[in-house]
Amino acid sequence: MRKTASLPRALAALALALLVTATGSSCSTIDNSTVGGQGGPTPDRYGTSYAPGTLRVLASSELADMAPVLEEARKATGVTVRPTYAGTLDAVEQIASGEAEKAYDAIWLSSNDYLRLRPDTAGRITGETPVMTSPVAVGVRPAALARLGWDPAKVTWSQLHRAVAEKKLTYGMTDPKRSNSGFSALVSVASGLSGAQSALTGQDVARATPRLKEFFAGQKLTSGSSGWLATAYGRRADVDALVNYESVLLSAPGKLTVIRPSDGVVTADYPLTLLTSARAEAKEAAGRLTAHLRTPEAQRRITETTLRRPVVLGVPPAPALAEDKRRELPFPGSRAVADDLLDSYDNTLRRPSRTVYVLDTSGSMAGERLERLKAALAELTGDFRNREEVTLMPFGSAVKQGEVRTHTVDPASPRTALDAIRSDATGLTASGGTAIYSSLQEAYRFLGKAPGDTFTSVVLMTDGENTDGDPASAFDSFYRSLPAEQRRTPVFPILFGDSDRGELDHLAALTGGRLFDANQGSLDGAFEEIRGYQ
Amino acid sequence: MGFREHSARVRRILGIVLAVLLLGGVAAVLVTGGDKDTDTATKTVRGVIGSEKAEFFADPQVVKALAVKGFTVGTETSGSWDMDELPLDGYDFAFPSSRGPADGLRAKAKTKDKATTAPLRPFYSPLVVVAHSPAARVLADNGLATLGPRGTTGTLRMDAYLAAARADRTWQQLKGSAGHAELSGTLFITSTDPVASNSGALYLAAASYVADGGKVAGDSAAVTRTAPLMRKLIQVQGAQQASSDAPFRDFVSGVGNPLVLVYESQVAAQLLASRPMGDLVVLYPDTTVNSDHTLVPLTENGRALGELLSNDPELRKLAVRHGFRPQGPAAEFTSATGSHAAYLNQTLTGVRQAPVPTGKVLHEMALRARDQGDPA
Repeated sequence: MRKTASLPRALAALALALLVTATGSSCSTIDNSTVGGQGGPTPDRYGTSYAPGTLRVLASSELADMAPVLEEARKATGVTVRPTYAGTLDAVEQIASGEAEKAYDAIWLSSNDYLRLRPDTAGRITGETPVMTSPVAVGVRPAALARLGWDPAKVTWSQLHRAVAEKKLTYGMTDPKRSNSGFSALVSVASGLSGAQSALTGQDVARATPRLKEFFAGQKLTSGSSGWLATAYGRRADVDALVNYESVLLSAPGKLTVIRPSDGVVTADYPLTLLTSARAEAKEAAGRLTAHLRTPEAQRRITETTLRRPVVLGVPPAPALAEDKRRELPFPGSRAVADDLLDSYDNTLRRPSRTVYVLDTSGSMAGERLERLKAALAELTGDFRNREEVTLMPFGSAVKQGEVRTHTVDPASPRTALDAIRSDATGLTASGGTAIYSSLQEAYRFLGKAPGDTFTSVVLMTDGENTDGDPASAFDSFYRSLPAEQRRTPVFPILFGDSDRGELDHLAALTGGRLFDANQGSLDGAFEEIRGYQ
Repeated sequence: MGFREHSARVRRILGIVLAVLLLGGVAAVLVTGGDKDTDTATKTVRGVIGSEKAEFFADPQVVKALAVKGFTVGTETSGSWDMDELPLDGYDFAFPSSRGPADGLRAKAKTKDKATTAPLRPFYSPLVVVAHSPAARVLADNGLATLGPRGTTGTLRMDAYLAAARADRTWQQLKGSAGHAELSGTLFITSTDPVASNSGALYLAAASYVADGGKVAGDSAAVTRTAPLMRKLIQVQGAQQASSDAPFRDFVSGVGNPLVLVYESQVAAQLLASRPMGDLVVLYPDTTVNSDHTLVPLTENGRALGELLSNDPELRKLAVRHGFRPQGPAAEFTSATGSHAAYLNQTLTGVRQAPVPTGKVLHEMALRARDQGDPA
């Protein structure tokens, strides 16, 4: 032992020096309005290299509210948390594929329940430390609550269902395939409406399907992330309620009365979870961090700052949090049940989507860019849901009317429409100028023809600035003159090639959409991510 | 080929050496305050432990007591049965929560020296069920439990509980449950995943022992006899956690199922830390299983640590402070918890210990309960 001591010590010193010099980038502010396309860890401004004393954490986006608590933790423990935010599904995929190991030491999702159903993630995670809890609940505008005459402490899922079926209540929730709050809501409502007394089974779901369909007819807003959902809700006076974590609802702008349905909730417990691959030093740092977060002082701060519930005896929840207990609805115990539930949500239960893809096929797209677009569209066809209406609207100096095609995915033979879309995509050719705003107006006119009970949206993919047709100002006045119903259709612009971020940002803000960055991520990643919003 | 293999091995060894040294450096700085002479030969040992022992090893007094004896200990947590899946290179010991997983871990140890890897059992803790007082009262009023005079501790009648489980009894069917929103749905105890974690597996050990008329399962035929009921106890829970800390934390947070299986040590540690217990009630199943926290040494240093934990009076005292019962004389535990008798059954009066099946049989039982027994 003694003999070898000096060599390893020298090596360690060397290694430390190397590690210190290898880490350059530091954390900058988090921009929540733009999201890069997904697909593996993005070696973005946060950097992915390891730095001693720093914990690289792949985290649920709503954990951004932990910043002040984590800053205090840094002072107390010397451990800096460097978060990268992702949706649950994206994070699970990154863990399963092994990508997460390359860039992170730990993950911190709202819940590991879905992760645990995936056998391919089993050996990849170790030590889980729940830090705080928050149930998925329904936040209702006080005016709507008064109209319904409810006592918020006593409302059940059946009552919520009845109110929705009688068209007295509408709501927004996140996409269960991408976000844990959406999935937990789906499990809660399926349990509540099926009368399941224990963990959900396929039969429970089948039995509740008619009522679930009625319930999801009232979902007027969908979103790939909690943050955007709250913003979109702010614009929509016609949406009465939001389904999300209690903590998110209580922090949302505008007062919401929180209903934890009295027949049961699904609760997130935010386990800080180590990746098995993390180096010993990072694991040690995580241990110090969680020990600190479990102190009564930190727990008090957490509940006061984030309105989540403490997990330490003797620390009461913040005064805004009701203390009467709820039944915990069991999360499905098998992947088959969970995936079947997601499939029926997508293909049967939810309102179908109706989307116009306004695609720049101007001359500047010729060559590699057009090929990337075709490939991305081909990839996207695997993602369309049953009953979905998809329109490809290519444009150059104007909309290329002869090439506009609409297909609806027929549940009886989904392949037919998907093959047709793929073949239309393959046929795209590049020519002409770039008439962004005239083409967008065309898309709104097209959608206006047959307003249906759908999630309606426009995706705009352009690689340059507007050169032909109407200017931006003309689109603004066109949009503002639309009837309220049509103004609810958002545009999701994709930043690609030389397109102008400012212009696209303006479009997203004007129409209540969101900008996606295919330059930072990838074009197919952006298309994929937008699925959560359609 | 040969070169690549060689370089990979060197890299790995270097990696381990560096990891251990970095870790040791951090811990040594923590222990000594960074300003003292760190030349005294400290043994840096690293281990993987069940989550219920994380706070013990993180306790500054434990760190200090170990440092006095020349040890710096780094730990990470894992489900006891999941430890098998971890690469154990670079670890000096594994510390699962029972005997079962120890055999597999011994087989994985690089040192094949049986004397080195002979397991040590410094302390143990019986499995108990925690409930909030309204739930405990409903159980008592329906013959499923008996409560002590203050209502903060009691006994869970396992035969009555298993009969209720067999009959899919719901809380709504029990008298006195009305008016408590959380007391609805099927009556069940939340355990950890028996395939991954020790307490979940020991839950099946106790339940199968009772269900089979007081016989410990010795083979597949015995497993088959109780399989339908064991499956029910597990399937009704849906998704399960992989370690015993999480369900306890959910319980403390006021969410989760009304009845949660935990180690007595998890509750005792809170009592000994003078944390307010709220309306928590500790129910001792009338047939339960002791979790024998079993340290499997993987190196000589790991073995030395295990012996220290077993024999050092200071560390035994600290183990008690974290709610564990040290092996051997019971006096240390009973005197330390004297003022908490309202919650703890110090002498385990009226609590029968079910013998635990071998690791192999228990694992089969767990797999079948979770429907992972047969390749489907």
